[in-house]
Amino acid sequence: MKRNLAYLGERALLVLISIVVLFPIAWMFLTAFKQPRDAYSLSLIFEPTLQNFITVFSDPWNLGSMVMNSVIVATVTVAIAVPCAALAAYSFSRFRVKGRKFLFFLILSTQFIPAVVIVLPFFLMFRQLGMLDTRLALIIVNLAIVTPFVIWMIKGFIDAIPTDSEEAAMIDGASRLRVIKDIVLPMAAPGIMTSSIFCFILTWNEFLFALILSRRDAVTLPVGLVSFRTERGDLWELMSAAGVMITVPIFIMALFIQKHFTRGMTAGAVK
Amino acid sequence: MQDRLLPYWLLVPAFIIVLATTIYPLAYSFITSFRAWDMTESRSPQGFVGFDNYIYAASESAFLNSLWVTFIFVIASVTLTVVLAMALALLLRRKGPMHTFTRIILILPFAMSPALIGVSYRFMFNPEFGVLAKGLGAIFPSLQGVPWLADPDLAMGILVLTDVWHWTPYMTFMCLGGLASIPKETEEAARIDGASNLRIVFGIILPQMRGVILVMAVLKTIFALKMFDQVVTLTGGGPGTSTETLAYFIFNVGFRWFDMGYASALAWILTAIMMFISTWYVRMLLSERKMATA
Repeated sequence: MKRNLAYLGERALLVLISIVVLFPIAWMFLTAFKQPRDAYSLSLIFEPTLQNFITVFSDPWNLGSMVMNSVIVATVTVAIAVPCAALAAYSFSRFRVKGRKFLFFLILSTQFIPAVVIVLPFFLMFRQLGMLDTRLALIIVNLAIVTPFVIWMIKGFIDAIPTDSEEAAMIDGASRLRVIKDIVLPMAAPGIMTSSIFCFILTWNEFLFALILSRRDAVTLPVGLVSFRTERGDLWELMSAAGVMITVPIFIMALFIQKHFTRGMTAGAVK
Repeated sequence: MQDRLLPYWLLVPAFIIVLATTIYPLAYSFITSFRAWDMTESRSPQGFVGFDNYIYAASESAFLNSLWVTFIFVIASVTLTVVLAMALALLLRRKGPMHTFTRIILILPFAMSPALIGVSYRFMFNPEFGVLAKGLGAIFPSLQGVPWLADPDLAMGILVLTDVWHWTPYMTFMCLGGLASIPKETEEAARIDGASNLRIVFGIILPQMRGVILVMAVLKTIFALKMFDQVVTLTGGGPGTSTETLAYFIFNVGFRWFDMGYASALAWILTAIMMFISTWYVRMLLSERKMATA
């Protein structure tokens, strides 16, 4: 009897947690499909419409160009950061480089520099070079945040790979670069994939840099949200539609790496 | 010969990125922090003023207010996140379909853009048509018509809530990882001896999780010190200046009032605080590791 009660209590708790987690997300999705008049009521029964999505993708909001900016900035950032970080992570993991502790410490510490400190000089520099409001500017500053993090994360994954097969291949006369390419990379692939997606999510959701460095041409999705605050008030149904566009691709990716996520986190943080 | 230098070559690309994107801006803003530079007056930096910017900060009430706001925010958000994450992890480490489902959906809040979280909580707490404002009013009549985001304390509370909602999942994953690495034997032995659940958690599990909890607390502190996105999209620093965190204040000084010298000095004060905490953090990690291998 007592055990049954505890069992039920645990179930109820899990349901409650799921509601707390899902409710804000579900509400946003519902609102995105509501007509303006329904968006301001709390009813769950309404005539669903796609009008909000059509509106946000047309003039004057032009969400399409923001989606484009977000995709390009995040993809290029990942494409530059991950390969560089993977090489560095391998070096940190396998070699006893002179001053290794100091270098690793240096990299770790940069992760803790507040973004607002980094963006200030870059704002001044980009203004001088006429690079404000360009995607390139956003990519450069995003690398600052993402690279140290990815080095840290991939190092955790490489640390977990046993060195036996690498040593065996080296004894057989394979060069170190060959070993990295043929043995380490395939084995670390799930970890590198997880880190890449993680890095993509970070860049995709990045707000402060884009808010400061973009005006019109390079605006990314999170900053685009702010433009739905107009003199007429906040246009919630349009914000929600934009929110759905920000969220869906990221949710798919996140669910894809969910399994590796727990491992990656602990590897990066505890080891 | 080539192999001997390889470890260094592998580090070069990453270090070029890190040097160019973090060390250079740090040095630049450090120098700027000792100059006067009102960008509305001059396109290039004005004269050096020594420690004036720092001295000014020490007496400016708006800055001191943002320090206090950040302090309150950090304490509330770190405590709540760590405690909730630990409790969730203890609940979710068991097997079962509902446990698995909850673990899977937990990644969603973490993947959501913080700016968007701010927007959606602002919507839900709107006193006229916000679903949470209305819902809470219906359940607790005393909460009817509460102007949530217009009240300084409640606005801070909601700001903390958005951050806890965003970060608890990530921290829960860390806890789950930590729990998985604890050997099961002691716990099982205690269970056979008839120890209660409460005693097992507080007497056996939590002491072994000390390292993970410390790491989480410090990591969360560092993230909370940077709090910016939701301040912009949820409260706009208000009502008044009641939710103006340090990062938001620096942003205002630099990009609304264009006082670059002062903004740089403030940015360096924040950096110093974070450097202090992160140095301590890395030290702790290294010593924990030594303990683990010993």
